[in-house]
Amino acid sequence: MLEQLVNEIRAGGTLETGALADRLGTTPQLVEAMLEHLQRSGLIQAYVSCSDGCLGCSLQAAWKKPDSGAIRLWQSKSED
Amino acid sequence: MSDCHSASVPLQPVTLRVRERRPLLALAGQPNVGKSTLFNFLTGLNQHVGNWPGKTVERREGSFSINGHEYGIVDLPGTYSLTANSPEEVITREFILREGPDLVIAIVNAANLERSLYLVAELISLATPLAIILNMMDVAKQEGISIEPEVLEAALGVPVIPMTATRANGMQAFYQTVQEILDGRHVSTPRLPEIRADHRATLDEILSHIQGYVPSPYPESWVALKLLEGDTEITRTLQNNLPAEKWEAVYNLLRQHDDALLAIASGRYEWIGRMVRAAVVHPKIGQISLTKQLDRWAVHPLWGLVILAGILGLVFWLTFTIGSPVQGWLDAQIVGGLTGIANQLLASAPFWVRSLIVDGVLGGVGAVVTFLPIMIIFFAVFGLLEDMGYMARAAFVMDNFMHMMGLHGKSFLPLFLGFGCNVPSILGTRVIDSKPARFLTILIAPLVPCTARMAVVAFLAPAFFGSNALFVSWGLILLSMIALVLSGTLLNKIIFKGQRSAFIMEMPLYHVPNSRTIGLLIWQRSLSFLKKAGTNILAMALVIWALSMLPNGDLNQSYLVQFGKWVEPVGRWMGLDWRLTVALITSFPAKENAVATLGVLFGSSPDAALTQTLTSTFSTASALSFLVVTMLFIPCMATVAVIRQETNSWGWTLLNIALFLVISIAAGAGVYHLALAIGL
Repeated sequence: MLEQLVNEIRAGGTLETGALADRLGTTPQLVEAMLEHLQRSGLIQAYVSCSDGCLGCSLQAAWKKPDSGAIRLWQSKSED
Repeated sequence: MSDCHSASVPLQPVTLRVRERRPLLALAGQPNVGKSTLFNFLTGLNQHVGNWPGKTVERREGSFSINGHEYGIVDLPGTYSLTANSPEEVITREFILREGPDLVIAIVNAANLERSLYLVAELISLATPLAIILNMMDVAKQEGISIEPEVLEAALGVPVIPMTATRANGMQAFYQTVQEILDGRHVSTPRLPEIRADHRATLDEILSHIQGYVPSPYPESWVALKLLEGDTEITRTLQNNLPAEKWEAVYNLLRQHDDALLAIASGRYEWIGRMVRAAVVHPKIGQISLTKQLDRWAVHPLWGLVILAGILGLVFWLTFTIGSPVQGWLDAQIVGGLTGIANQLLASAPFWVRSLIVDGVLGGVGAVVTFLPIMIIFFAVFGLLEDMGYMARAAFVMDNFMHMMGLHGKSFLPLFLGFGCNVPSILGTRVIDSKPARFLTILIAPLVPCTARMAVVAFLAPAFFGSNALFVSWGLILLSMIALVLSGTLLNKIIFKGQRSAFIMEMPLYHVPNSRTIGLLIWQRSLSFLKKAGTNILAMALVIWALSMLPNGDLNQSYLVQFGKWVEPVGRWMGLDWRLTVALITSFPAKENAVATLGVLFGSSPDAALTQTLTSTFSTASALSFLVVTMLFIPCMATVAVIRQETNSWGWTLLNIALFLVISIAAGAGVYHLALAIGL
């Protein structure tokens, strides 16, 4: 399951946890747990919050409330 | 020792090495699952805190007595796994393997079992007896998560105790279960995670090589598994302990199976999936299913874009049908009325005083303040979309589209943030590791239209284009996006060289927006806008007014006109006279200044609103060109300051300004001549 997730990430593009869960035949919560695992393993990284300068940013509320059902983002680590 | 790579291996009833002294319990779990709460509750004052030998990690141990039985207890550091990724993980596994507690109690978060069970998947494979505390049952209940502890216990094959440690709920069952396990009255038959068949064969092969060479007290099968997982400490230990030929054989196997790390973790996650499927029912089925149904359209590669375009169109439609008339009324009645009153009151005052109040303050700031209804509509609609969970979908759809266009994902998300303001998008580029890629992304970030620029367009488009304003506004945003895609694609080809990267987003559920949240957001942003109008924009309006008055009070001989005439030749390429050109230049401190400057230059009149004056003064081609240049003009001063701060280079900052000057002048000139050619 984790291998499938890594393959999806390696293929690139924009991915969403709900759609990934459907493709992997599991729940979004488990996909999120696996993403956190990959983050700890250094394969992906969490998107850095820009809360120090995001007045006017339409997503700022989301960054500030990571545990309240708001948006969280990860990105694959670049090879550049 | 249990076989860690086979599923559902029934073990013999756990044989306990009950110590002569009091039994020792170990509390294990991820950070923030309530370990310390339980530890403090159990031990009270009978605890002491020190450090683990040779580490700076805190060691907490203590004791407690129940029904005449005394227990020792150690609160292990919070860990996610038993692989040597961190000092905490090394401490936890070394303690369990070397100290051999009589019982390991794994605390998991009932509200997020998927996240908590990975450590259990490792602990369950060890020989040490294990019990699970399903903590935070109250939180799980609040979140509508239904868990059946007895089903989870059957699925795991080890005791499961539901608990809310903060309220001391479940303590009786905890004491009873601990005593039963220690008395040997509880039979555990742990169900273990599996790994893929090919790796299982490798695991057996590694095991055959290391047998007899594993230092005590490490179990050989556990060591073989950790070798396959690439555990650095275990690898180093075995390299030192194995004869050279054995190590070479093991090393070659590990090299051939370097994907085993993922395969083993994958097996554990499949195991977690099975456990959760068996025992947990997730909540809000209706809400999730509604979100899924809506997302079928909202995040669809094509329909998602259509919906996003429709929403942007709706924002402008609302602006033009509600905001613009209110703005026009404010301009005519309030600013016009105040102008009339000021003219009367200041009839006997010196000319420059009257001009300062009427042309400088009311003409400049008054024009910008009448924006407020337009801004409120922007704030309200974007706030509503944000609060109901749509903005994440908009980001997803646009990111997907940009990927299809070839734009590197790492660039796009910072760019998307620029829809509110370009400042966060510049700061957001910090996630791009490569310096050239980051600088080039910073270079194109201001191509994303910000709220201030959209508001200027929303103010001027109806004045110039009447009922066609909606299509013109749409077209202007499309033009910015085309410029962005072209620059981004070029950037991808040159700098990122077509590398693929992924963005993974966790979408919030759609929910009914909270009117208080949106009201607060509108209030805060409106206040911030008015503050800006009363400070930066007022200052700029006064500078423009002063330049239009100096040196002798005659506009035609003023410094402003002299400056305007000096830059007018460039403006002429784009069909702009000196006034529009000056308005553009003054938009550098803040985009709204373009309107303030037009207000000062065209004067505030009780008879005609600014928009009416503008309509009768400029041709359609010039107006269109002005709007295009406004959308693509050099970024505002705040954005330029952040570009300087983030690039730490005046060279890049000036290059950014130069690039936008070239792009905006070229686009303005192109649009102007095209408009003339088609007879506009």
